[in-house]
Amino acid sequence: MSTTSSLLLALLGDARLPSGGHTQSAGLEPALRAGTPSAQAPAYLRARLRTVTRVEAGAAVVARAVAADDGDLAEVEAAWAARTPSQALRANGRRLGRGYLRVLQTLWPGPVDTRARTWSRPVVLGLLAHRAGMGPADLARLVGYDDVQTVTAALLKLEPQDPLLIAAWVKDLLPDIDEMATQVAHLHTTEQIPAQGAPLIERWAETHDTTTERLFSA
Amino acid sequence: MPENTTAPTRAMRLGVAGPVGTGKSSLIATLCRALSGELRLGVITNDIYTDEDARYLKSAGVLDPERIRPVETGACPHTAIRDDVTANLLAAEDLEADFGSLDLVIIESGGDNLTATFSPALVDAQLFVLDVAGGGDVVRKGGPGIARADLLVINKTDLGPYVGVDVERMAREGREARRGGSVVALSRHDEESIRMLTGWVRDTLARYRAGDHTPVDPGPMAPHSHADRDGKGGHTHTHADSATHTHDQAPAHAGPSA
Repeated sequence: MSTTSSLLLALLGDARLPSGGHTQSAGLEPALRAGTPSAQAPAYLRARLRTVTRVEAGAAVVARAVAADDGDLAEVEAAWAARTPSQALRANGRRLGRGYLRVLQTLWPGPVDTRARTWSRPVVLGLLAHRAGMGPADLARLVGYDDVQTVTAALLKLEPQDPLLIAAWVKDLLPDIDEMATQVAHLHTTEQIPAQGAPLIERWAETHDTTTERLFSA
Repeated sequence: MPENTTAPTRAMRLGVAGPVGTGKSSLIATLCRALSGELRLGVITNDIYTDEDARYLKSAGVLDPERIRPVETGACPHTAIRDDVTANLLAAEDLEADFGSLDLVIIESGGDNLTATFSPALVDAQLFVLDVAGGGDVVRKGGPGIARADLLVINKTDLGPYVGVDVERMAREGREARRGGSVVALSRHDEESIRMLTGWVRDTLARYRAGDHTPVDPGPMAPHSHADRDGKGGHTHTHADSATHTHDQAPAHAGPSA
């Protein structure tokens, strides 16, 4: 029996989905350590939505299209890696990919390429979206929404404040997520994947990777 | 002898839970010291704010530091061993992949409270650690770990005289809370108690390898509550497996479903 793409978005975007998300701050922990004021979290998120998160969403949408055409997802993985210059971010993205692979294999069982264990989150999410029947725009929204919720949930642990104020930030960012999703939803081929970088975010990720006293793994 | 086709091929995963400060890291160091000569071991720690536990174990020199991995839990140590075990599961897989086959992977929960126990989605067996310095009454407070972990450890028994706790009584009350389940009263200065602990680990590992061990979920909280607290007349209730029976005494725990 099939379901709607929007309900799949709710299922996969829910923080209660056991995919390892609670170990993540989407770069917020090192950003705060580097001196970013917590009040700038919405600006930090808008910067992510225009750069690293857009790359992530674009790669996921293309992986979905390639999976639908029975193409080679390793090519999407290589294209994503080429657009993710930080080794720490690539390693973390691949750890997250393994978490989503567990979700995929349990919720939508079926044959999976043996190399899938080394694929990053966007590639595995693209495959998952194809198999689950989730549309490309909702897939891109999922990537954007997950990023926003990851940062704001981590903020409540790192610099606690009124959770409703933070929920209001998320609500204010929803149009930005939609805008980003609209920009990437039509992509089909690896060379169309956006290539925006965010050097500070990438540098902070590298610093965080060797920091010992931390709450979040990335 | 017939091949046992249900015997597992991966290392047994042993969870170590219990409140903060009860000596989980020290107990793991003791296990590593006693067992690293005969078993291939790996350790995963779930510190909350630091990598203190991993550093302690590495500096204890009881195991190759590479075999001790800290896992960040995003300030949710409870979640990492129950509601979303992904990060710990991947770390356990990585340890085995990096060192070939291991016999035992010990996963230390971030010190939490009396309700934090491991899900069988992560571990095959678990022990719950209390210590006498936390007070002799803690064991009577009950909870899923005390009542239903595979083993209850009452640690730091050598401190009993200094904190005014009757260790034997605490261990006895532990057995009562567990309806006869295993309890080890442990002190790292008492070799006999260490042998009891390592003996339990060896026995459990042997049963796990033979396919005779069934992981038990202690549950996130006590499964049921009882209005009859006067200890007379007993009570009847139904378990999830639909078996109904009567206890001859009121249990020491209360659940949410009154």
